[in-house]
Amino acid sequence: MRFVLKTHYGQDVDLFKHSGQRFWYAALAIMVGLAPWIMDDFYLGELSLVFIYAIAGIGLMLLVGYTGLVSLGHAAFLAIGAYSHAYLLGHGVPFPVALAAATLFSAVIGAIVGLPALRMIGIYLAVATLAFAIIVEQVLSHWESVTGGYRGMPVPEAELFGLSLMGSQTFYYLCLALLVASLLAALNLLRGPTGRSFIAIRDSEISASSMGIHLARTKSRAFAISAGFTGLAGGLFAHKLGYLAPDAFTLLTSIQLLLMVVVGGLGSLHGVIFGAIFIGLLPQAIAFLRDTLPPAAAQIPGLEPGIFGLILVLFLIYEPLGIYGRWRKIRLFFDEFPLYRSATYRRQKSYLRTERVR
Amino acid sequence: MEILQLLISGISQGCVYGMIALGFVLIYKATEMVNFAQGDLMMFGAFISFTFLNLLGWPFIPGVLATLGLMAALGVLIERVLLRPMIGEPPFAVLMLTIGLGFMLRALAGAIWGNKPRALATPFSGGVIRFGELVIGYENLAIVAGTAILCGLIFLFFRYTRLGIAMQAASQNQLAAFYVGIPVKRIFALVWGLSAIIAATAGILVAPVSLIDPLMGSVGIKAFAAAIVGGFGSLPGALLGGLIVGIAEQFAGLYLPAGFADTSAYLILLLMLFVRPEGIFATLQRKKV
Amino acid sequence: MTERLFQAENLSVSFGGIRAVQDLSFSVEQGEIFSIIGPNGAGKTTVFNLISRLYDLDRGRMIFEGDDISGLAPHQIAERGIARTFQNTELFERETVLNNLLIGRHIHRSTRLLDEFLFLPGVRRQELEFRKRVEDVIDLLDLQPYREQIIGNLPYGVRKMVEVARALCMEPKLLLLDEPSSGLNPEETEDLSYWLEDINEDLGITVIMVEHDMNLVARASHRVLALADGLALAVGAPSEIQNHPDVLRAYLGD
Repeated sequence: MRFVLKTHYGQDVDLFKHSGQRFWYAALAIMVGLAPWIMDDFYLGELSLVFIYAIAGIGLMLLVGYTGLVSLGHAAFLAIGAYSHAYLLGHGVPFPVALAAATLFSAVIGAIVGLPALRMIGIYLAVATLAFAIIVEQVLSHWESVTGGYRGMPVPEAELFGLSLMGSQTFYYLCLALLVASLLAALNLLRGPTGRSFIAIRDSEISASSMGIHLARTKSRAFAISAGFTGLAGGLFAHKLGYLAPDAFTLLTSIQLLLMVVVGGLGSLHGVIFGAIFIGLLPQAIAFLRDTLPPAAAQIPGLEPGIFGLILVLFLIYEPLGIYGRWRKIRLFFDEFPLYRSATYRRQKSYLRTERVR
Repeated sequence: MEILQLLISGISQGCVYGMIALGFVLIYKATEMVNFAQGDLMMFGAFISFTFLNLLGWPFIPGVLATLGLMAALGVLIERVLLRPMIGEPPFAVLMLTIGLGFMLRALAGAIWGNKPRALATPFSGGVIRFGELVIGYENLAIVAGTAILCGLIFLFFRYTRLGIAMQAASQNQLAAFYVGIPVKRIFALVWGLSAIIAATAGILVAPVSLIDPLMGSVGIKAFAAAIVGGFGSLPGALLGGLIVGIAEQFAGLYLPAGFADTSAYLILLLMLFVRPEGIFATLQRKKV
Repeated sequence: MTERLFQAENLSVSFGGIRAVQDLSFSVEQGEIFSIIGPNGAGKTTVFNLISRLYDLDRGRMIFEGDDISGLAPHQIAERGIARTFQNTELFERETVLNNLLIGRHIHRSTRLLDEFLFLPGVRRQELEFRKRVEDVIDLLDLQPYREQIIGNLPYGVRKMVEVARALCMEPKLLLLDEPSSGLNPEETEDLSYWLEDINEDLGITVIMVEHDMNLVARASHRVLALADGLALAVGAPSEIQNHPDVLRAYLGD
C-alpha cells in the first residue's frame, strides 16, 4: 500500500499524484506511440476507432457521469460533428478549420439543447434528448441538398500538413493526439471550479444552487462541452467511415455510447478508456462468435444489439461501477491483502419516497 | 370526409400508443421504474398470440387467454430476475437496464420467429363497416373497443380492489408501504405481470393492422413520448397523450412534407416539454429540503 | 448603534391552502445570532427556504444590506453572501470532504472556462488560494481526519459539521443554520455552541439558526423569534422567550 506524504497543496492540484503514476503513464505513452511500428493496418484502424470512441466518451462521461444528466441522443451530436465537418471539407475549407468549426457548431447546438434541461427532471430530459436525436436523424434523411438524404454523402479526402489522412498511420497519430488533448482538457476542467460545479449539480441541485451555482447556465454549459467533444469525435468518425449515411447515427449508436460509459465505469475518465476499448473490440468479438457458433444461432437477426443489451444488463446488475470499478476493487484487494473488507464498495440503496405527488 | 377518415385512423393508432403508454405509466406509478422495453413486450405478445392462433391453430378466445397468461408469467419473470436486484438503485440505471432488456427481447424474438414479417389472422381481420364514404376496418374498431374495455378494467382495479390500492400505496412510499405490511416486492412482480398483459393486449389488437416483426416494438418510443405528453404518471393522461400523438401523426403525414409524420410525436413532445414540462396532468414535484 | 443586516417584511406563503408562513416580520442586526424556534410544522424551515429563494413569496419582501432580494434567483442569493445548511444535510455525497468544501468557494472564482480547459497559471493560483481558505475552515472546525474521505462514508454528526464548513467556505455575511444540532450527541452539541461563538465573534458572521435544543438556543443566541403555525408569537432575549406565556402555550398546550 502506498502512502503519499503531502507537503504542499499543489500536490492535490497536480495531475499525477505520485511518481509511480508518472512511470506507468509514460510507459503507456511509449507503447501507444510505437504501435504503428508493431501493428498492421487493420489493427491500427481499430485502435484509431477506439480513440475516436474515447473522445466521444469523454463528452458523454462529462454529462452523464459528472453532471448527472442522461442523454439518450448523443449519436445526434456525433452526426452533427461528422456531417458539418464533411460538408465544410467538401466546400474547400482546410481540415483543421473544418474540424474546429464542426466541434464548435456541435457545442452550440448542445448548448441550445441544454437550455431547457433546467426545467426537466431525470427521465424527462433523457426522453427529450432521445426525441432530439430522432429529429436530427430525420433531418439528415430529408435535407438532401446538404446531407445527401438517405443516399448519404462521401467524406472528402483531407490533408494535414501535406500528409494524406487516408494513410492509417497519419490518421492514427491524429486521433491519438486529439484524444490526449481531449483527456487533458477534461482533466483540467474537472480539477477546476467548472468541473466541481458539474459534480455539485449531479449530487444535489438544491445544494448547488445555494452554493451560488447557476443551474441553467451550468447545465447548458455541460451540454455544450459534452456535445463539443462528441462533435470532434464525429469529425474524425467521418473519416473513419468514409461515407456518411443517416443509418450510422441511430438510437443504437446512442445506446452504444451510453454502454461505453456505463460499462467503463460512470464518474471516471479511466472508465471512458476502458469502455472505448470494450465497445471498439466488441464487434470483432461478435464476428468471431458468429464464426464459431452453429450457423442457426449465428444468423439470428439483431444478434449484435442483443449481445449489447445482455452485457449492459449484466453490468448494471453485477458491476454498476463498471470495469474501472472492478479494477479498483481488485487493486484494493491486493493493497490491503489480508484485511480487505468486501463491504468497502457496498452500494448504498435508497428506498425512495416518490417525488411525484398526486 | 377525408378529415374524418384520417381522424378515425388517427384514433385507432392513438389507442395503440395509448395502450403501450398505459403500460409505461403503470410500471412507473407503481415502482418508480421506467420500462423502456414496453414496446418490445408488445412485440413479444404479438408473436406469442401468432404462435397460438395461427401456427398452432387454437380458437381465438383460448389462444388469447393463453397469450395473456404466458405474457403475465414473462412479466413476472423479468421482474424477478432482472428488476428485483435493481430495487433501490438510481432510476437512470433501471432505465438503461430496460433498454438493454428491449434489445435482448428483439434478439430473442428474432431467434425464435425469424426476421420475416408475419400477419396475424383474427376473427376481426378484413371486415369493414361503411358509413357512406367512410370506411372503418373491424381491426380499427377492435382496437378502440379493446382500449376502452382495458381502461375501464384498469380503472376499476385501482379504484376498488385491495391489490390495486396496495399498488398505489407502494408507489407513494416503498418503505412506508412495506412497514404497514404490504408485500412490496410481490406487488412489483404483479405490476410487471399486469403491464405485460396490457402490452400483449396491445400487440394482439395491433397485429392485424400492422405486420409482426421483431422491430415492431420501436413504436414503443413514440408511445413513450405520448406518455410524457400526458404527464407521465397519470393513466388517463397516457391515453390522451397517445390519442394526440396518433391523430397528429396522421394529419402531419398528409399535410406536411415528408419526415414530419415520423417526427410529429417527438416535436409535440419537445413542444410540450418547453411549454409545460410537467405534462397535461402534472404529477412531478421538486425535492423537498 | 448596530446596523440592520437583514429584514423580513410581512412574509407570507401558502401551499395549497395551508398557510405555512403568515405576515411574518423580523429583522436581524449585523453581528448577532438570531434563533428561530417553534414546534414542528411552525414554518421555521419554510422561512429559510424563502430567504434562499427555493420558494416564492406570495406576499411581503426581504431586504438584505438595503437591497430587496425577494426577486433574486437562488444562486444570486449565494453571491450576495447568504449561505445556508440543510436540516437533513444536502452534501455532495460521492465526493470527498475537501471537494465539498472547494465547491463552497464557487462564488469566489474568477477564472474563465477557456482558462480552465488549459489550466493556465491563474487557475492553479486560484486553486491553491482556495485550498488555503478551505484548510483554514478545516482547522477551525477540526475536520482534519476526514479531509480525504467520501461523504457517503461519514457518520451523520460529521456530515452536519462538513455542511457548516462548506457554508463557511463561502465566507458569507449571513449564515442560515437549519437545526445544526439535530442528530448530534451531547458532546458534539457542546462543541457546536463553541464553534458558533467562534463563527460569530472571530469571523464576524451574522447567524440565523433554526433550532430545537433550547439549551443551545439559550446559550448561543442573542435574540429569539418564536413561531407557531406560521405566525410570529414573540421576539426577544432567550430568557424572555422561554417564559413568554404565548410561547409556553404553543409548546405545552393550554
